[in-house]
Amino acid sequence: MRKLFNVVLGVVTSIGGFVEVGSISTAAQAGSEFGFSLLWAIAAATLFLAVLAEMAGRVAAVGKRSMAAAVRERFGFHFQMVPLGAELVIDLLLLTAELGGAAIAAKMLTGIGFQWWIVPVGVAIWLVLWFGNFTVIEDGVGLLGIITLSFVVAVWRLQPDPGQIAHGFIPRLPNHDVMRYAFLSVSIVGATVSPYLLNFYASGALEEKWTEQDLWINRVTAFLGMGFGSMVAMGCLVTAAIVLGPQHVKVDSYEQAALMFVPVFGRWAVTLFALSLGVGCFGAAIEIALNAGYVLGQAFGWTWGIDKKRRDVARFVTAFSTVLLLGIGIALIGFDPLQVTLTSAALTVVIMPVIVLPFLVLMNEQEYVGAHTSGPMGNGLLAALTILGAIMALVVIPLEVFGG
Amino acid sequence: MNVVRDVLDQPVVDRNGRAMGRVDGIVIEPRDGRPPRLAGILIGPAALGHRLHPGIGRFVSALEARLGVSAGRPVLVDFEAVDAVDSKVKLRLTIGDTAVDAVERWLRAWVIKLPGGR
Repeated sequence: MRKLFNVVLGVVTSIGGFVEVGSISTAAQAGSEFGFSLLWAIAAATLFLAVLAEMAGRVAAVGKRSMAAAVRERFGFHFQMVPLGAELVIDLLLLTAELGGAAIAAKMLTGIGFQWWIVPVGVAIWLVLWFGNFTVIEDGVGLLGIITLSFVVAVWRLQPDPGQIAHGFIPRLPNHDVMRYAFLSVSIVGATVSPYLLNFYASGALEEKWTEQDLWINRVTAFLGMGFGSMVAMGCLVTAAIVLGPQHVKVDSYEQAALMFVPVFGRWAVTLFALSLGVGCFGAAIEIALNAGYVLGQAFGWTWGIDKKRRDVARFVTAFSTVLLLGIGIALIGFDPLQVTLTSAALTVVIMPVIVLPFLVLMNEQEYVGAHTSGPMGNGLLAALTILGAIMALVVIPLEVFGG
Repeated sequence: MNVVRDVLDQPVVDRNGRAMGRVDGIVIEPRDGRPPRLAGILIGPAALGHRLHPGIGRFVSALEARLGVSAGRPVLVDFEAVDAVDSKVKLRLTIGDTAVDAVERWLRAWVIKLPGGR
């Protein structure tokens, strides 16, 4: 019974914690520019993420290692330098974007300029990491994130035609701006399948001490949790499509995106959008900073863990604090968070093959997944995803140039 | 035993099961007419840096010297002190016999100063 409660909580917190600056930005733009026709991209990206997350969770539950540890031990440090280095750079950019998103949300709520919010938001994140523990962070972020269900409520109130929605799940080239469409579909993948999510998910499994008995929980959390979570992102796309699409509003800023709530929520529009954006970004920033600590601690063999006494994990604390400080510093320079978001999504796609390739090996090694190796179907799927990732990695930069 | 696959980059634990870090480097001793012998393992960022490029190793060592923690680092553990190699490398030493946690202790002195930490 207790386990069932935890599983349900895990799914609920996954829903609440799904959207952040990347998914909101790409969904809002996709909806306003191409109607429902990019829904398939969110679905496909989420499936991609869930497949990888389940695998990472499997290695954690059976092999008792996070991705960072598994990659170092199986492939050696020389290989690891590439995905590790790339992931840290992207995580830092994404952290900067999330800080920016949270700051903009605070500005929308208070009228005080967004640059003034960067440091307070950053300090708040640090305080959560300093005083919190894994349960508080995971459940807190996830439960507060329920506010993002505003996107789902909005769709429900707008009553779109289900037939037209269903059409959006069939990939089809549009009759205008094909480059832009392709760019947005790839950006959606980059925004959804963030590399930090995989190691964070695995680290969470280790923090919660999952065992081989918990593999079903792993599957449920990965697929149902992220599946339902993606509905929030889809809700954002559909709402943007219905409200902003006909006005041909090109979403260049979050203030514009917030307009999508006006017909549904009236004078609460900006408040609800800002809260959804703010909570989503705040939660994601906490996870990204924490994950930086996880990745460095696991790769280098330090003691780590957000449930441990801080004095026992001094290098881990220094790591996440330093990364957070760097993120705050870069955010203060004042780059447009929307641009930083799309850039980090594009870079994520570029390194995607290097992230997926290790899974192909690890899923077939008893040392890491015990008896739960991938069958031919699992391997076939991974191989297909690797190839897909490689294709996207090749086209994303040209697409950014022509369709960005 | 394939040293690179089974020893290098694996976690190291001491006699009591306490984590000591990872095998960041190995020391190989060439022998005339016979295959080289695994002489020892190295633990520490200077050793890891050295694997990438000797200059990086020297840089890390210089940094550690600046902080005053370079004594006995990178930690060289003679292969005689390795008890077993399975999913982790188990040593016959205890963590206190080595300087592996010198940086951790140095940083701990700062972390403790922060208010309210557990």
